[in-house]
Amino acid sequence: MWIIARRVPEPDREYLIGDLLEAYDERLTSLGAARARAWFWREALHLLAGPWPDAIPTQTDLRAEAPMDTILQSIRIATRSLSRAPALSLLVILTMSLGIGASTSVYSVARAALFAPPPYPASDRLTLVWERDADGSESNVGYPTFEDLSRERIFASTAAMSYWTPTLSDGSETTRLAGQRVTWRFFDVLGVTPMLGRGFTAEEDARGANRVVVLGYGLWRARFGADSGIVGRDVMVNGVAFRVAGVLPPTFESLLAPGTEIWAPLGYDVSLPWACRTCRHLRMVARLAPDVSVSAAGGALDQAFARLKERFPGEYASPGTALVPVHEFVVRETRPALLALLAAVGVVALIACFNVANLLLGRALRREGEFAVRVALGASRVRLGMLLVSEGLLLAIASAAIGSLLAVIGVDVVTRLAPPGVPRLDRVAIDANALAFAIGLAIATGLAASLLPAVALLRGGLQGSIRAGARSLTGSGRHRLRGALVAGEVALAVVLVSGASLLLGSMTRLLAVDAGFATGDRVTMELDLSGPRFADSGAVAQAWQQALEAVRAVPGVREAALASQVPLGGNVDMYGLHLEDRAGANPAEDPYALRYAVTPRYLAAMDVPLRAGRALEESDRAGSPPVALLNEEAAERLFPGGNALGRRLRVGGSEGSSRTVVGIVGNTLHRGLDSQQELQVYVPSAQWGEEGGMVLVVHTSVPAATTIPSLRRALQGAIPGIAISKTGTMDRLMALSTADRRFALALFAGFAVVALVLAAAGLFGVLSATVVERTREIGVRTALGAPRGRILGMVVRQGMVLAGAGLVIGLFATWGSTKVIATLLFGVGASDPVVLGIVIITLGAVALLASALPAWKAARVDPVVALRDS
Amino acid sequence: MDVNHGLGEFEQLVLLALVRLGAEAYGVAIRDEIEREAGRDVTVGAVYTTLLRLENKGLVASRLGDPTPQRGGRRKKYYRPLAAGKRELAASVNALRRMTRGLTPGLELP
Repeated sequence: MWIIARRVPEPDREYLIGDLLEAYDERLTSLGAARARAWFWREALHLLAGPWPDAIPTQTDLRAEAPMDTILQSIRIATRSLSRAPALSLLVILTMSLGIGASTSVYSVARAALFAPPPYPASDRLTLVWERDADGSESNVGYPTFEDLSRERIFASTAAMSYWTPTLSDGSETTRLAGQRVTWRFFDVLGVTPMLGRGFTAEEDARGANRVVVLGYGLWRARFGADSGIVGRDVMVNGVAFRVAGVLPPTFESLLAPGTEIWAPLGYDVSLPWACRTCRHLRMVARLAPDVSVSAAGGALDQAFARLKERFPGEYASPGTALVPVHEFVVRETRPALLALLAAVGVVALIACFNVANLLLGRALRREGEFAVRVALGASRVRLGMLLVSEGLLLAIASAAIGSLLAVIGVDVVTRLAPPGVPRLDRVAIDANALAFAIGLAIATGLAASLLPAVALLRGGLQGSIRAGARSLTGSGRHRLRGALVAGEVALAVVLVSGASLLLGSMTRLLAVDAGFATGDRVTMELDLSGPRFADSGAVAQAWQQALEAVRAVPGVREAALASQVPLGGNVDMYGLHLEDRAGANPAEDPYALRYAVTPRYLAAMDVPLRAGRALEESDRAGSPPVALLNEEAAERLFPGGNALGRRLRVGGSEGSSRTVVGIVGNTLHRGLDSQQELQVYVPSAQWGEEGGMVLVVHTSVPAATTIPSLRRALQGAIPGIAISKTGTMDRLMALSTADRRFALALFAGFAVVALVLAAAGLFGVLSATVVERTREIGVRTALGAPRGRILGMVVRQGMVLAGAGLVIGLFATWGSTKVIATLLFGVGASDPVVLGIVIITLGAVALLASALPAWKAARVDPVVALRDS
Repeated sequence: MDVNHGLGEFEQLVLLALVRLGAEAYGVAIRDEIEREAGRDVTVGAVYTTLLRLENKGLVASRLGDPTPQRGGRRKKYYRPLAAGKRELAASVNALRRMTRGLTPGLELP
């Protein structure tokens, strides 16, 4: 009833509702309740859909309208004509919405992660400063180098940073945080002002005076209840009191060290042993002086560095420096993947556009009769074109609305799937900018897709079609454009399917790589001992011993060990290897190796095979002769000829102890399956000097993840105040290490499926249209005795010709565009036969499927009916 | 769709129903008459749409009846053809008559 009340103006309501009720009562007795109700609904819906006459402007109203008249009228006619073909309109809107939704989601992610400048004032003046190694790779700087370079006039201000993972205790709980130690001007360089309190002072950036911290907004809220009186109070960091100097505002994003929540002054001076020129473990960030361009700064910096090398010839192995703008630094890891996805989603949008153009063109061709009549009645061609374009734009606007909704879901999916390295994902949102993008894309697509049929139709002679109403005369030529569109769609789909199969091939090959260690049934967690209780190394050693004993007592634990770092763990500790009998003139030029300080059972726990000599044993303790193990790569590179056993070397600095190589073990891929094999050296942790932070590795006899809670309880029970973090299985670490590729693969595969569906729909549409048009011809052929098989083959062949043309073009396009995803590929190329096979088979199958129904329909044509109808 | 030239087919049916129903011509009755005699299942809304258009063209007139105990006391709106409406209707129907004169019931030449 309310429907009627809404639609019908007040004076008309009474008698209308009365009529309906009367008729309803009548039907209630004659037809029964269900059918009466159905009848009533039909009436109500009719009233809802159709305009009530008073709402329609009369002729006089129309004449009074402004020059907008024709445009409004076009829109009105367009609306009406679209609602007359609801299935087609829905199909077009669905297709466009898909394209727009996918594009807008990826665009939003890419905009936040790639294109948005870093959220610091004048961020284009911010740059990272590296030393450049002989192979061109960037490397950290030592503290004296930082101090010397900071004096250069090209910099307005500079800061050095080092990673810091302190523990924070409040009463019962001790947790480990991601932090940074920075020189005191760090916040000035970035241009961030603390929301509460202040940043660091020069006096605080000194040894012994640096027990102050600045808290991140998130940490301040989560751990200190957003207490605005926190400034000036002490908090327990690493078991020691640190004074809170300030709290950063919520808008601050730590892009140089993602996830950082706490900052403390570095507190170095050049007298410290680890503040040497070769102790290259600091990252340097600088704000360029106002009058200096980035390129000029690069040149000046290289000259300054050359002067340093002259003054300290034995201390620098690196040939120069590198300036990397902060924005570049932040985005370059994920840029290849995101650009590839942008390209892929662009292709999807293009296919959607082709498909919509195809659908609209098909509809326009079917309406030739209508247009001819309109022209005959005096409609100008421009007016007809306007009608087609208004239809396109109406569809575009509807699609933009639905597409934006899809994009909200899409962004959620993309950010969920995204690998951990993608910066600023938390800032991704469908905002005004994204909406503008969606609407712009929709309008562009709508215009492009409707202009094509408009031009095609208006150029082709309308007179011809009105003369005959001649549907079956024009034949195959008029579908050439549609065929070309479909072939284009197939070609674009081929590019995406190829991309997806290349990524799939890469993934398969990558997962087949032997990492050199076992990941199944392995748990890892990072453990930290901090505070005065663990001030001396004896207490630390004892605590580690207790930790291992507690872990081994947990049911389901087969083996447990501690290591300073583990493969895939994210830490990369590299130390110089100095051979005793082959001391280089410049120790900085000696090779670097990944250094693992481990407890004796580490190799067993990780299932790293022993190749020669012996493994580490319990007897390799603090007082006994220092030993080391090398991996095969290091043994081969340092001692070609296989005589590594028994040789002596120092690990890290000339003051380290001289060690005997007692064993050679298998290679492990530390930085992931796609990394190069590196030199590796293992030393007993008991002979290294105990460290307060270690990684626990546990080999379990039950599913690894199930043991984590009991492992935590055992550790916390054995060592009160131990901080446990980064808990997980090795399988998960392995999955994370391939997350970039998984992400790209998942999205590419999704896009490829969409592309295939759209291309198949396009092919299906064109074939169906030609079958309908050729009904008479097919009827004649059948009547003359053509077997159904041949009719079937005729249609399928047409489909295959279109698909084949698209396939060939698409494969060429793939070869041309493989470099877009080159960085994501592993062990496969565009001409890989397996990949080609997958693409050709997939496309063939889809094309066959799309041709099957039209072909079957063609074969069913009854010659009697076909010939009588014509 | 010009005001002065010809009636639409459905307009003819509605006008004919008015003539046949006389004083009892209101929404549901008109609808039922068209269904019964012309075999066309149409909605009440469509009938009113047409009636309102005819009224705008000055071909029919309407008046509200008195409330009755049926249909919740809601009044009926009665329609009657005006002179102009009858003229238009006659012109349309006569045109049809002339055009079909001499044809078989199947509308073919005998």
